[in-house]
Amino acid sequence: MIRRLLLGMGLAALAAAQLGAQEGRQQITMPFRDPSMPRKLVVEGGTGSVTIRAYEGQDALIEYTGREIPGANNRGRSGRNEPPDGMHRIGGSRGLDITEDSNTVRVNSRGIFGGMARDMVIQVPAQTSVNVKTMFGGNMTIENIAGDIEAENFNGQVTITNASGSVVAHSMNGKITVSLSRVPPDKSMSFSTFNGDVDVTLPADTKARFKMRTDNGDIFTDFDVKMEANAAPVVEEEKDNKGRPRRRVRVDGTQSGTINGGGPEMQFTTFNGRILIHKK
Amino acid sequence: MLSEGESQDLTAHLASCETCRSELSRIGALWQSLDLLPLEEPSGKVRERFYEMLGAYRQGLAAAEARPVRRWWTMPVWQAAAAAGLVAVGLGIGYGVRDDRSRPELVQLREEVASMRQLVALSLLQQQSANDRLRGVSWSYQVEPSDEEVLNALVTTVNHDPNVNVRLAAVDALRPFTGSPATHLIARNAVVQALPRQTTPIVQVALIDFLAELKERNAAPELRRLVSDPDIDSGVRKRAEWALERMQ
Amino acid sequence: METVNTLVNAKDNTLMAEVSAGQVARLAVLFERYHRALFRYFVSMNGDREQAEDLVQEVFFRMLRYRTSYDPAQSFTAWMYQIARNAGVDQARKRGSAQVVDIDTYVDRRAELVSSSPGPEESASRGQDLTLLRRAIGQLPEDKREILVLSRFQGMKHEDIAEVLGCEVGTVKVRVYRAIRALEQIYFALEKEKVS
Repeated sequence: MIRRLLLGMGLAALAAAQLGAQEGRQQITMPFRDPSMPRKLVVEGGTGSVTIRAYEGQDALIEYTGREIPGANNRGRSGRNEPPDGMHRIGGSRGLDITEDSNTVRVNSRGIFGGMARDMVIQVPAQTSVNVKTMFGGNMTIENIAGDIEAENFNGQVTITNASGSVVAHSMNGKITVSLSRVPPDKSMSFSTFNGDVDVTLPADTKARFKMRTDNGDIFTDFDVKMEANAAPVVEEEKDNKGRPRRRVRVDGTQSGTINGGGPEMQFTTFNGRILIHKK
Repeated sequence: MLSEGESQDLTAHLASCETCRSELSRIGALWQSLDLLPLEEPSGKVRERFYEMLGAYRQGLAAAEARPVRRWWTMPVWQAAAAAGLVAVGLGIGYGVRDDRSRPELVQLREEVASMRQLVALSLLQQQSANDRLRGVSWSYQVEPSDEEVLNALVTTVNHDPNVNVRLAAVDALRPFTGSPATHLIARNAVVQALPRQTTPIVQVALIDFLAELKERNAAPELRRLVSDPDIDSGVRKRAEWALERMQ
Repeated sequence: METVNTLVNAKDNTLMAEVSAGQVARLAVLFERYHRALFRYFVSMNGDREQAEDLVQEVFFRMLRYRTSYDPAQSFTAWMYQIARNAGVDQARKRGSAQVVDIDTYVDRRAELVSSSPGPEESASRGQDLTLLRRAIGQLPEDKREILVLSRFQGMKHEDIAEVLGCEVGTVKVRVYRAIRALEQIYFALEKEKVS
């Protein structure tokens, strides 16, 4: 069942790193086997940016370009990664690993790659569930997807435009920007970042219950949100950095409210940033 | 779709027939474009109605076993009720009819509905997609906060769910359990145990806030460790420091 | 947790056999698996969301009611769609079979659905194509629409469709092909109409 394209990228990348040259643009097509079954795309990004967008074809189309990470230490030239005398690399853990199994296409780009960052652009049919995670990556962009989206980014922004399925998105150090052209009536969603704004645009007639939490920021919206009774603000005694006692008023934790009579839950969380919920 | 023989015949025919070839390619394109039609999603009402019906059915079943003469669902009044009215009965019970001790059938119906909710919450928490698991977390607010099985499932989610947002939602969902006499010790302990397992700052902060709110002294050693660990995000360290002060 | 895992992974037939034997709560697992697919089946067949939701409820109610008639050797999905078809037919009869003939209403309703829930940003031409495609599906005779929905949208195996419709597997293949061909002709005609 499993189709696998293990790309012998090692040689190409090593050559590119040694020459200090740009790795060229590569393109791979991986078909989804069964057009009548739900499709899923799972991406584990390494370094570099990831863009996923819908197109009118039926396959997963994976394009990537490599570029040097400035100042990266290109280790491995004389280590275990160097081919022994008289041998050459035909595959292995440094390559881009693309598999298909039961209509799930997996794209794995592992770690820092001989000082190369890899920018990926993946195109899939709109009705595809997308699950994408990056560890050291740049920005993440997802466009026009109608399936369920799960996106997690550690260092960059997450930008999702014109989604019409469900969205569950997190960034550790970047802004989350999501616009939904349609909100399915029976899906829960969640948008969170540790450092950055959460900026979400929803159709005007969306029915939902918002749960919002920001620790160091404000919440803005042009929706008519019917707020639910909250826990009363907490007055805390604490000490400032010179040890003097001071008072701090905290509206405790999560605030909830409904729009258009309420519906499935949508959670907005940021530690350092604002929450913006726009009406489209 | 075709057998091998059929497929060979077809290939041979297509090679010689231009009309059929172009028709087949048009049909193939159309077949594929059917995929572009957006999928319809039912509203949340469907689920609510189903579980109320199932609860009512089980209740009726139990009653029918006590009175075996006539099966309840053959009675017109039940048929009509099941078709329309029972939803309202079920919902009414959901909204806290408190003086129902004198009406054992209502107590039982309420229990049935509760166990349905437990089943939904538990099965949703096991699903593959994060948005289903988030729905499972939302459903968990509808079970009795004394429900240990759901509590355990939530704790597993906090500690092991691969999705940050689902873990974050599950931390919040533990709150009702810390207020229930039957489960508050397990729940508090679970929050203490969860903190050292987390490496994602936003979940760490949610747990730290929770521990501060509970004034949970058992968490102090872990909080002190976080404060002094230079590898920990500075926002998290400050928060841990703040929580320690607040507990004193 | 063990029991829940087992439940979630249990086979359809096993679960329904258990429901049949009196563990009716197991139906919840089947509901979670299939209510969306059923809903889509009904929406594709009659274009009415509200009615589709009622019919989903009706199908699960009938499963409970006739649970003892389920034969575990039979495919669960085939049995489910048999019930769904009957429920749809009964509903249409109740409404004076208006659903079957009133294609205009169907098309209007579909058009409403389109405007209320646009999919991914469609280029103007593609948007029109999809509207056209929907209209074409709406104009298919009901039997052809049904076999198309079952095979294409519900992703059912030909064997199961044969069981639902009570015919041979070979017949199903032929009918799927005829349905898509008919759709292609209607679509082509609509397109010409639009151009002229």
